[in-house]
Amino acid sequence: MSDTRQFGDLAIQLVTESRRSTLTDTLLKYNDNLVRQIIREQRDLEKLMQTLIDTDAVSPSLLIYQTAIVRNKRCLLAYHMHRMDRLRDMYWACGCALPHILSNAPLRSKLSPHEVDYLRQYNASTMAFRASFSSNNDDLVWVKKDCGTIHTELGAIDFKKGQRFMVRRADIEHLIVQGYLEEV
Amino acid sequence: MDLDDDDSFFTRNVLGGNPAPRQPAAPAAQRRASPDPFQSGPDFDVWTANRDSEDTQGETPLQQLIRHWMNERHAPDILPVQQTLLSGLLDHIRRQSDTVQILRSDPSSSEEDHFRIMLVQTEIERVKFIVRSYVRTRLFKIEKYARYITTNADVQSRMSATEQQHATRHATLTDEHFFQSVLRSLPAPQRGLDEAPAFVPSIVTLPDKTRAVFVHARVDCPPVRLPDGTTLEMEKGHISLTPYAVVEQLVARGEVELV
Repeated sequence: MSDTRQFGDLAIQLVTESRRSTLTDTLLKYNDNLVRQIIREQRDLEKLMQTLIDTDAVSPSLLIYQTAIVRNKRCLLAYHMHRMDRLRDMYWACGCALPHILSNAPLRSKLSPHEVDYLRQYNASTMAFRASFSSNNDDLVWVKKDCGTIHTELGAIDFKKGQRFMVRRADIEHLIVQGYLEEV
Repeated sequence: MDLDDDDSFFTRNVLGGNPAPRQPAAPAAQRRASPDPFQSGPDFDVWTANRDSEDTQGETPLQQLIRHWMNERHAPDILPVQQTLLSGLLDHIRRQSDTVQILRSDPSSSEEDHFRIMLVQTEIERVKFIVRSYVRTRLFKIEKYARYITTNADVQSRMSATEQQHATRHATLTDEHFFQSVLRSLPAPQRGLDEAPAFVPSIVTLPDKTRAVFVHARVDCPPVRLPDGTTLEMEKGHISLTPYAVVEQLVARGEVELV
C-alpha cells in the first residue's frame, strides 16, 4: 500500500469524510490523527521543495510538489470549514443553547478543543448581535426545575424550584430554552 | 387603546392608530440619517412611499416585510437592509405586547375579550416569526460571505452597522479557527490565507449571481438583457425563471419580487 501511495491521498480521505458527514447528516468525530498526518506530509513536501530549490536545478518535480501542497492545504481548510458550518447549524438547531451542546458528552467527544473555543466565541458574537434587537433586557422568570447556581451579570443566583427572579434575558435565555425556567 | 384597534393593526397602515398625514418626500440624506427605532409615523410613511415604486402605498408594513423577506430568502446576494421598516414593526410589536399585557390583567374584561386577546397574540407571534426569519436569513448569508463582505464596500453599504460588526467578527473568528487548527502547524511559507494559486477556485466564497430565480413582475418592467443577447420585457404579473444577475436591478428598484 505504501508503495503506491501518492501525495494527496490522505487529503482525499479527509474530504471524503466531510462528504460522508453531509450525506448521513451527522457530525463525525474530529479526525485529529488524519489531520496531523496531512500536516506532516505538508512539512515533508516543503522540505523536498526546499532541497530542490537549493540545488538550483529547474525540475518539473517542483510543480508537482507545489500542486500537492496547495491541494492538501485546501482540503484541510475545507474539512474544517465544513465542520464549522455543521457546528453552527447545530447551535441554531438547539435554540442557541451553548451549554446544551457542551454538556452533551457524546457530542463533545466529537469536537476538537479548538472547535469548543470556536463555539464559545461564536456564541458570544451571536449574543452581541442579538443584544442589539432586544431593548427590554429584564425578564421575570419562574424556576420550573432546580438548576444550581448560575453566574449572571448581577452576581451568582441559586435557582431553586418555585422561586421567581427578575433577571437579564441574555443571562438566562439558554435556561428557558432547556426548560429550567419559564417566563412569567 | 381598545381591542378593535389591536385586531386590525397589522392589516392597516402603520404605527399607532391614526392614519399618518402624507408629507412631501424628505431629502434622501435626512431619511438615511434616522436610525432611531422610535421615530414618528409620518417620517416612516414618507420613507416607504419614496423608497419603492408608487404601488407600495397599498401595502401594509407587514406585507412589505414579507416581500423583502421572500426576496432575501431567494436572492443569492445580500439585499439592502430594511432597517426602518423592521424597527417600525418591532416597535409596534412591543407596544402591542404591552397593551395585551394590560388588557389581560384587567379583571373587567369578558370571556369574549380574552378570546380576542388570544387572536392578537397569535398574530403577534406570526409577525415575530417573519421578523426573526428575515434577520436570520441575512445573518446566514453574512456568515457565509463574511470574508467577501469585509473587503467589499458595496455590500457593506447594504448592511446595518450591527450586521457589519457581525461580519467582521465572524471573518476574524473563522480565520482564527483556521489558524489554530491548521495553519499554525504548517511550515511558515504555507500559512497565508490570501494566496490565489492558478487553476484553483478562489478561497473566498462569493454570492453566485448566476443562480436561477423565479421572478414575478409587480409592475410593467423595462426590458432586461438576457445572457444570450436577447431582451426580455415583463408585463405586470408575468412570472419567469432567469439568472439572478439579469433581474438584479429590477429587484433593487422593487419592480419585481422573487417567488
